[in-house]
Formats: sequence, structure tokens, C-alpha cells
Amino acid sequence: MNWDWDKLQERRQRQNPGGGPGPDFGDFNQKLKQIKGIKLPGAKIVVLVVIVLWALSGIYIVDPDEVGVVQRFGQFNRITGPGPHYHIPYPIEKVQTPKVTRIRRVEIGFRTLQKKTTFATNQYRLVPEESLMLTGDENIVDVQFIVQYQIKDPKNYLFNISQPVKTVKDAAEAAMREVIGYNKIDSALTTGKLSIQNDTRELLQNILDRYHSGIKVVAVQLQDVHPPKQVVDAFKDVASAKEDKSRYINEAEAYRNDLLPKTRGEVARIINQSLAYKESVVRKAKGEADRFLAILKEYNKAKDITKKRIYIETMEQILSNPSVRKMIISDKALQRVVPYLPLNMEGLKGKSTSPKGKNVGGKK
Amino acid sequence: MPYKKSSVLAIIFIILLLVGSQCVFTVDQTQRAIVLQLGKPVGSDLGPGLHFKLPFVQNVIYFDRRVLEYDAPPAEVLTKDKKNLVVDNYSRWRIKDPLTFYRSVRTISSGLSRLDDIIYAELRVALGQYSLTEVVSSKRSEIMSQVTKKCNKLLQEYGIEILDVRIKRTDLPPENQRAIYGRMRAERERQAKQYRSEGREEAVKIRTTADKERTIMIAEAVRKAEVLRGQGDAIATAIYARALAKDPNFYQFLRTMEAYKKGVNDNTSFVFTPDSEFWRFLNKSR
Repeated sequence: MNWDWDKLQERRQRQNPGGGPGPDFGDFNQKLKQIKGIKLPGAKIVVLVVIVLWALSGIYIVDPDEVGVVQRFGQFNRITGPGPHYHIPYPIEKVQTPKVTRIRRVEIGFRTLQKKTTFATNQYRLVPEESLMLTGDENIVDVQFIVQYQIKDPKNYLFNISQPVKTVKDAAEAAMREVIGYNKIDSALTTGKLSIQNDTRELLQNILDRYHSGIKVVAVQLQDVHPPKQVVDAFKDVASAKEDKSRYINEAEAYRNDLLPKTRGEVARIINQSLAYKESVVRKAKGEADRFLAILKEYNKAKDITKKRIYIETMEQILSNPSVRKMIISDKALQRVVPYLPLNMEGLKGKSTSPKGKNVGGKK
Repeated sequence: MPYKKSSVLAIIFIILLLVGSQCVFTVDQTQRAIVLQLGKPVGSDLGPGLHFKLPFVQNVIYFDRRVLEYDAPPAEVLTKDKKNLVVDNYSRWRIKDPLTFYRSVRTISSGLSRLDDIIYAELRVALGQYSLTEVVSSKRSEIMSQVTKKCNKLLQEYGIEILDVRIKRTDLPPENQRAIYGRMRAERERQAKQYRSEGREEAVKIRTTADKERTIMIAEAVRKAEVLRGQGDAIATAIYARALAKDPNFYQFLRTMEAYKKGVNDNTSFVFTPDSEFWRFLNKSR
């Protein structure tokens, strides 16, 4: 419009000082005539069609996941829900339909690359300058996370912030670093993850609210938290050292669990053996005592003869053993024949050279 | 001349439309505007909607009313404890007073360069007052709000409001990073060693405790066994004593006889004299 106006002004300026109808103006008139000439037959219909089309251009449909935001002369006017609606057509009103239920996602510390085929798994590219963070105890940790957000207030979202994605991303990075800065590396790597997520989400929401961004942070999710690759081996070794520790302990416990039952068995053996000894000794004593008492009873009835009988029987038993050598020498002979040794020697020889009994048996 | 008449009307209509379009202007919801009349501002800060102005003599200058971003490139900062820190900060700001903004900096890009100057300086001043740990951890939000407040004061004369100055990244220069990695590694190695030694310690404790228990249990068993044996022996002795006391001499005799039987084995040589008790009858018969 402006441009046309300028042009027209230029023409006029050119035309006025010169005076009289300029060639341009005539041209213009002629063109106008031509247009009029063409339009003449159904001009009213055409105008009507144009008006109807213009009016119809105000119909818009809001999908279920959207809201309609209508601006009248640029100014925010109203918000409409899903369904068909009408707005006064351009240039008076215009409508935007942001998808408010859609959850958007920002990746920090990594980027998902486009899949080459539908069957391939996702490929990631790491962005270490985003993911390396200092912890409160001056360690460095590699944190990859995503932020999911939604449009909470479409009016603020559309009209209040200039670059929503970058705003979320910058704020998320700042928030995560702040939270990691409060934490120590061990809790960031292990038990503190949940609270880090929650703290970051809260802080991020605060920051975004401060910008009146109309954004609701649905979730902050840590994807991968690990030590930087320069030190990851040492961290892994700590984990395996923990395993080693429990292995050593388990091995020792296995040893103990093996040893103690065995020992209990041995204890039982020792006790039982001694009980057996005790019982056998007592029984033997009883038996012997009873036997003695039995014999004694009879002995008391005929002391002399019993004693003699026993003596003789004993001697008999001794002497009836064929391998016992017997020799009867009178007292005088015994005193005379002092070198008794050869006999003994012979006997010893016989023992060593011949089987028991035979040799000696002959002597008997 | 119907043609002429209608063409004149058309021209008038177009002219009116053009003039009219110069009289009205709209300001978008994302914008605010000021009107200059031959360079002189008239009326201030216009919000979104339809507005009127005089054609030709007034023109409109639009400003963004949204929250704008300022992202500084990362730069090294020296902390109080003389440590280098690479700080990447960003800021969100908006034009608070368009007229002042227009007068002092005119455009967003020159506004950004003012922001850059002021935030850069203020951040360095603030960070220089804290140690590295404080910057990274405990005093971070404090520093940020402090810088925000100060910058806001300074930027007021430019019609700029700063929502916040935020430290996005605080990284260490590469050489310090290496030092930290070294320290982290040493720390972990120490931990790993500690875990393993603790494991060994615990294992030795368990093993030796088990050994000790075994020794004690066996010793206790042996003790009990001795007691039991003693009891047995005692009972046996008592039984013997009770029985034998009835006739000790006979017992001695009987037991001796038995001992003879057992004691005289193979190769025992007996030398008798015919006068002995046993051989008495032998003599007599001769």
C-alpha cells in the first residue's frame, strides 16, 4: 500500500510541475477503462463473490490438541477452544493455533540424530560443552538430560518471549548447573538423581515464570550421568573394588560356613567317643565286678580247693601252650650248671629259624 | 459519461484508502510503539491494537515488547582465589521504556552492545569477590541476583529492564580440568584401594573368627570328653573297689592268675625245679 502511494505521489509531483495530463496518467486512465470494460458484464456478481470469499476466510478449525488465539488489529482478543470458529477476516483479525497439549522436548548434552531407517536404533551425538558440569566438591560430571515442556499459557507463550526453545534450553542449562553445583559428585552419580531432577524442574519453572513465558515444565529427566571419560576407568574400578570387597567377604563367609559345621561334627565325635569310653569302662567294671563277686561267692564256700583249682588250671593253660618252653632242673643242677646260656641261645636260634611250635614242640 | 464518473470515483476511493492507511496503524501483541512527529516523540508507549496518527507528518517506530535474549560468548574470569573460570552467561531482558530506549540506544543491536558492556563488567566484579567453590556452588544464585540488580540500576537510563543475569556454564580452563581429572582419579583409586583392603580385612576377620571358634569348640569338646572319661573311670573304680573290697586277697590271687595267662606267651621259657609247688606230685610219683 505504501509503495503504491509513494509511486502515485511521485507521479503527481512529476505531473503537477509539468502541468497538463501526463502520459502516465493517461495510461492509468486507459488501463482503468480496460478493467472497467472487462468487469462490466458481471461486476456485481464478482464483487459479491469476492466479499463472500473474504467473509468465508474467517472460518477456522481448532484441533483437539490446539487452542485458537485471536488477535484483533494485532491486539490479543480471545482464546477459543477446539472446534470450528469464526474470526473477522484479514486485516482485522488473525488467528494462531499453537498446539498446547503437545509435549516438546529439549535435549541437553546430546542430540538425537535422525534415523537412517525405521529399524535402526537412535544414534546420538554428544555435546560435551553442554554436559560437563562442575559439582559442589569441585569434581566434573557428565550430565545428559532432557526437558519436556508444554504451553501453559498460550498468550504469554506467543507474545511474551522471543525464542521459546532457546529460552528453555538456556534456562535449563543454567538451572541444572546450579543444582549440580549444590550437589556432590557421588550423590549426582548415585542416589541424588531423583532430587536433582526435581530441584532442576522447580528451579527451571521458577526461571521461566519469571520471564512470563507461559511454559510449563513437565519433566526434567536425567538421561545419563557419568564421570567424564578421562576418569571413567577409575570410577569403574571403584565399582569393581566394591564387588571385590563383597567377594572377599563372601569367600570368607563360605569358609566359615564350611568350617563350623565340620567342627560341630568333630565336637560331636569327640563327645560321643568319650561317652562311649565312659559307658564301656563302667560296664566293663560292672561286669568284672559281678564276675568277681560271683566267683567270690563260690570261693567262699570252699576256699582252699578253689584256690588250688584255679592255680592248677592256670598253670595248665600256660603250660599247654606249645610255644612256651619248659625246662625242669633240680635245684642242685641249677646251682652247678652255671653256664645256662647255651640252652637259651639254642632256644633263641630255634625261634629265629623255625616256625613257632614245631621246633619247641619236639623238645617238649 | 458514466465511465469517467466511475473512474473518478475509483480514484478518489483509492486515494482515500491510501490516506486512510496512513492514518491508522496496528501494533502487534508482541510489539509496542512510539509515534514521532517530525522526529519529536508525541504520546508515549502505545500498546497493541489499532491506533491513529496524522498521515505524512507522524511516523511510527515499533519495538519488541517480548522478553529478549542476550547470550554472551564464554569468557575467562579470575575468581577471588586466583582460579580461572570460563563463564558462559546469558541474560533475558526487555525494553521497559521505549522512548528512553529510542533516545539512548535506538536499536536492539546497539542495546545489546550496552548490555554486553555492563553485564560483562558487573559479572567480573562480582565473580572476583568469591572463590571458585562459592561461584560454582554456594553463592551462585546470590551472585546472579546481585549482578541482576546492579545491571538493572545501570541499564535504567537506557530504558532496559533485565529480568535476570544467569550463569549458564562455569567450566574450568583445560589445564585446570586436567588437574581436576588427575585429582578425581587419585581419589577414586584411593577409594578402590580402601574397598579392597576393607574387604580383605573383613575376610581375615571372618576366617580367623571361624578358626578361633573351631579351636575353642574342639578344646571344649576335649575338655568335656576328659570329664566324661574321668567320670567313667571314677564310676568304674568305685565299682571295682566296692566289689574287690569283699576279699582283696582272693582278688589279688585271681587277678595274678589271669595275668599269668596273659603274660606267658610264645617263647617264654620256664625253668622249674622239681621242688616247686606245681611239680611236687611229679617228684613224689618218682
